[in-house]
Amino acid sequence: MNVIEINNLTKTYGKARGITDISFHVEEGEIFGFIGPNGAGKSTTIRTLLSLIYPTSGSATIFGKDCIQFAPEIKKEIGYLPSEVFYYDNMKVKDLLKYSASFYKKDCSKRIKELVEIMDLDLNKKIDDLSLGNKKKVGIVQGLLHEPKLIILDEPTSGLDPLMQQKFFELLEEENKKGATILFSSHILSEVQRLCNRVAIIKEGRIVTVEKISTLQENNYKKFKIETAAPLDQKYFQISGVNNVEVNNNVTSFIFKGNINDVMKKIAATEIANLWIEEPDLEEIFMHYYEKEV
Amino acid sequence: MNIFMHELQASRKSTMIWSLSLAAIVVFYMALYPSFARDAAEFTKILEGYPETIRNALGINLGGFFTILGFYCFPLAFISLCGAIQAMNLGTSIVSKEVREKTADFLLTKPVTRTTILTAKLLAALTSLVITNIVYLAAASIMVFQVKTEDFSFQLFILLSLTLLFIQLIFLALGVIISVIVPKIKSVLTVSLATVFGFYFLGMLSGGTSGEEAKRYLSPFKYFETGYILKHASFEAPFLMTGAIIIILAIAASYLVYAKKDIHAV
Repeated sequence: MNVIEINNLTKTYGKARGITDISFHVEEGEIFGFIGPNGAGKSTTIRTLLSLIYPTSGSATIFGKDCIQFAPEIKKEIGYLPSEVFYYDNMKVKDLLKYSASFYKKDCSKRIKELVEIMDLDLNKKIDDLSLGNKKKVGIVQGLLHEPKLIILDEPTSGLDPLMQQKFFELLEEENKKGATILFSSHILSEVQRLCNRVAIIKEGRIVTVEKISTLQENNYKKFKIETAAPLDQKYFQISGVNNVEVNNNVTSFIFKGNINDVMKKIAATEIANLWIEEPDLEEIFMHYYEKEV
Repeated sequence: MNIFMHELQASRKSTMIWSLSLAAIVVFYMALYPSFARDAAEFTKILEGYPETIRNALGINLGGFFTILGFYCFPLAFISLCGAIQAMNLGTSIVSKEVREKTADFLLTKPVTRTTILTAKLLAALTSLVITNIVYLAAASIMVFQVKTEDFSFQLFILLSLTLLFIQLIFLALGVIISVIVPKIKSVLTVSLATVFGFYFLGMLSGGTSGEEAKRYLSPFKYFETGYILKHASFEAPFLMTGAIIIILAIAASYLVYAKKDIHAV
């Protein structure tokens, strides 16, 4: 079953860029990554899903229901953590969490207690007096306290120290094991690589590709680095599937996708001093996606 | 209900300050009444020297000025002005507060409709105003009974005092529609003071040129002429209607706009 289904979603703001014709779906129980640079349209997509903004055209369903028409009903089962958290400054942490819980018609006090312990949060402080990282922790507890079936995270890790980030990821993995579906937007690839099963890459308001992390990483791409006796011509490796060629004196490197034999023949035809073939990390693949259209 | 309680909690301090301030003003003014009443004849002479425009603007009408109710109209004009500012503040901040303090994301991702949110916030604002009016009315009533020199109609006194609430309701509604339409209000006080004083001066000018009834529709401050209320023991129906229509239209439009509005990221 698809928890989120987005169909040809378009949102334009006057002349400013929004999102164009976005379509993808998130299956039940998966951790879905949504990556792209700042301003690519990640937040716009997410805010449309949450009916904070309304689409110009297209539609989206969550739990099989239209996300605008059934917004209040759907939101009972959604936990949302924005990239920047802001709460009523003169409230105490305790009161804010209580207020947040009061919107869900169930007893959340036990879960609040657990989460507060994991996140190491001081309940009696005023929101105003909290550091950025601590506010973020309040956000995490606030987003998870009603044990939502769908967790939507919009660049959630900013402001968290590495230790907390670790705890937070563990928490998310635990929620996922319990059955929660997670939509995780980020521009930091290593965290997406670590958590997600599948990923959608968005660029300038359009989806570039939707793939499994494993497919992106292992099957398609190899990173070649070749050391030769004399510098190679930049054009030597100009065969299909070769990208990002860089020649640095005697060292030539590129990313390759396709039949590996072709490139091996090419390499065999020249005098080489050393050879490295590696799995590229997501970052390099990602850059590749972005650069090829420049 | 939770939003209502939260809003009420958030505005409790300001409600308290406004209630006590308005009460203090009326207590202070009415405390002056006994000495005014003693020197009635001389004061009449001084006031006759003022141009009629200014007398009207200040809410003084010579005929009944030295009866306690006539005297009461004088602070009432000023209190209505203050009350209008309070109501306008409440109204203007009703939605814009969430945008300015960036808490809109929190509230609007909860399982509630925007209509529910706006209703709860409106009711909370209304409750604040009613509390203010009750505190004010209590203080004013006690005071007039303390300083009265002769009997007066308590019913008429209530009628006069109600103009505060009516003016506040109109400005609350105006504030709400501004709050919903303007994308981001940086300072509530600037907007509310500008609007309230704008209408107040508009009212002063339109009140000056006598006889032109139509101009009175321009300013809510002119909808409830104390002179008319004193004379007829009732409000002027056309103006009461106009006030009600403004409130209904503004609130209805606010609901429509708010339900369709995009809430942008911070």
